Amino acid sequence: MSTVDSLEEISKYVRREVIKFKTASGHGHLASTLSVVDILVALYFGTPRYFNPQNDILVFGKAHGGPAIYPILSRLGFIDESELSKYCLPNGILRLHPDQSIPGCDFVGGSLGNALGYAAGRAFSERDRQFVVILGDAELYEGSIWEALLFISHNKLNNLLMIVDRNGLGTIGFTEELLALEPINQKFSTFGISAITVDGHNFRDLTSAYSSSRSQPTCIIANTIKARGVSFMEGKPEYHTKYPTDSNTVEMMLKGLE
Amino acid sequence: MKAQRDQFLESLFHEAERDESITLITVDMGAPALDLWRKHLPKQVISAGISEQNAINVAAGMSASGRNPYVYFMACWAARCLEQIRYSCAMAGNEITILGNGVGLGYAPAGPAHEPTDDLMYLLSIEGIQVISPSSNEMTRYLVSETLSSRKLRYIRLERSIPEEVDSIAGNSFAKERSLFPRTLKFTKSSGNMNVAIITSGYLLGRAFKVAQVLEKNSFGVVVVDIPLLPIPPKTLAKILGAPDIVLVLEEQYSPGGFYYQVLHALNLIPFKGKIVEVGLDSAYIFDNGVRDDLLDRFGLSIENIVSKVL
Repeated sequence: MSTVDSLEEISKYVRREVIKFKTASGHGHLASTLSVVDILVALYFGTPRYFNPQNDILVFGKAHGGPAIYPILSRLGFIDESELSKYCLPNGILRLHPDQSIPGCDFVGGSLGNALGYAAGRAFSERDRQFVVILGDAELYEGSIWEALLFISHNKLNNLLMIVDRNGLGTIGFTEELLALEPINQKFSTFGISAITVDGHNFRDLTSAYSSSRSQPTCIIANTIKARGVSFMEGKPEYHTKYPTDSNTVEMMLKGLE
Repeated sequence: MKAQRDQFLESLFHEAERDESITLITVDMGAPALDLWRKHLPKQVISAGISEQNAINVAAGMSASGRNPYVYFMACWAARCLEQIRYSCAMAGNEITILGNGVGLGYAPAGPAHEPTDDLMYLLSIEGIQVISPSSNEMTRYLVSETLSSRKLRYIRLERSIPEEVDSIAGNSFAKERSLFPRTLKFTKSSGNMNVAIITSGYLLGRAFKVAQVLEKNSFGVVVVDIPLLPIPPKTLAKILGAPDIVLVLEEQYSPGGFYYQVLHALNLIPFKGKIVEVGLDSAYIFDNGVRDDLLDRFGLSIENIVSKVL
C-alpha cells in the first residue's frame, strides 16, 4: 500500500528521470511531461487501486507529455531501466511520443484528438476492462474529441475514464487567452459526462477521484502546473518546447527534486 | 439491379449472423440493407452519428479489441477522415474495412462536395491501404469473403449504379476466375491497325466497351482491362497486357496522382515500350448541372474525345 509520502517519493523519482533523459537528448516537451507526472503516479501506484497496469489500458491523447510514463514503466518492470538513458537515441526503444511498440504502451502518439475515439471503440468492445485516456486541455480544441464524447455518453462507456491535464497552457500561451475553454466542467456535463475537478498534484484528490463509483462516463479535470517541479519554468508559456540543457542548470533542477 | 452497397451489406449481414465480431459502423445513412441489420442484428450495427472522424477512430479501437469493423459512409467523406485512416488505422496497424458509396460522379447532380473525383490520389498516399473498385455484384459479394479471410486496411469504392452490360460482362468473367487481379473483359484481334489496351475500372468500363467498338471498326486490336485492385499488381498486369502499341488509361478522376499514376507506376516495373495515353476529368470540382453521363460527356470523357486521343 502506497502512502502519500511514498507517492511523493515516486513522483520525485519520475520527474528526476524525465529531466535527465529530456535534457540529455534535448528532444520533446519537458514542461508538458512534468505536468502530468502526479496524475500518472497516482494512477499506477495510488490506493485504493483503480488501474491494473497488467490488464487495463492507458492511452495518451497528449502524447507529447507521454514520456512521463517511461520511468513508471521502468519501475514496474515493463522496460529495462537502461532504456531511459537511450531515450530518442537510435539504439533505444523509447520515443518522443509513446507508441504501441513500447511495452506497457498502447496506440500511437502524436496526432491530437484521436486517442479518445480509439479508446471509445476499445471500451465499447471490452466492457470488463478499464481504459484511461490522458487528454491535454488544449487538445480539447480538436472537434474529434467532442464527436467521441457524444459516442461515449450515448453508449454509457463507464469503463472509460478521461483525465484532462488542465495546465492552462497551449503551445504558445494560456488557453483562456488563445480560445477560451472554460467552463470545461459544464461542457463535459452537458455531453452527459460526469466531470470532477481536482488538484492534479494532490494524491489524495486524485486517488479519491479515480476510485469513486461511476454510474456514467467520467472525466477528471486535473488542475496542474505546467513544468511542475522546476520552479523557474512552472506555468510559463515560453517553455512549451524549450528547456535548459546545460549541466549546471540541469544539476540545479535535479537538486530541487531531491 | 441491386446496388453494390446493398449487395455488400446483405452478404455481410449473413456472415455477421454467424460471427458476432463483425461490426458495422454507420454515420446516419439509410439503405434497405441497413434496415436488415438494424432489425435483426442491432448489437452489431453501431450508429456514430454524422461523425466520420470518430467512426474511423472507434473502428480502429474495435479492431484493436479483436472485432472486425466495417465503416460505411458516402465516398466523398473519406477525405474528411483521412487523418484518422492514416493515423489511427494505417500507422497504428488497426485493420478495418471502409465502404465508400457513390464514387466518381455517382451522386451527380449533387455537386462536387458529394462527388469524389480525386479520392484515389489521397487514399493511395496511405501506406499499406488496398483500394478496391468492384465492377460487378458478383465481385462485390466476393469482397465480403475476401475481407473476412484476410484482414487488411481496405477502402472499397462502391458504385451507386453501374451499366447492366458492365455488371454482366465483368460478373461472368469474375465467376470464372475469382481474383481481384487485373483481368481482360474484352479482346479483339487487330485487323491491320495498332493494338490498344484500354485500362479502367467500375463505371467507366461501359465507356471503355463503346470506345473499343469504335476502334475495332478502325481495324485496331483492342483489349479492355478491368483493374479492381490498387495498387496494381504489376506482374499480373504484364501477363494480360501483352505488348500493346498504346495503353489508354480512362479514369473518372482528376488526373494528377490518381489512377493514371498507379498505371504508370505498374508499367514502370514491367517491360513496356508502348505509348501511354490518359483521359480523365478536366476538373476535380464540377459545378455544372447534369447527371453522371452528361458530366462525363462534357468534362473530357465523351466517347468522341477518348477515341480522338488514339485515332
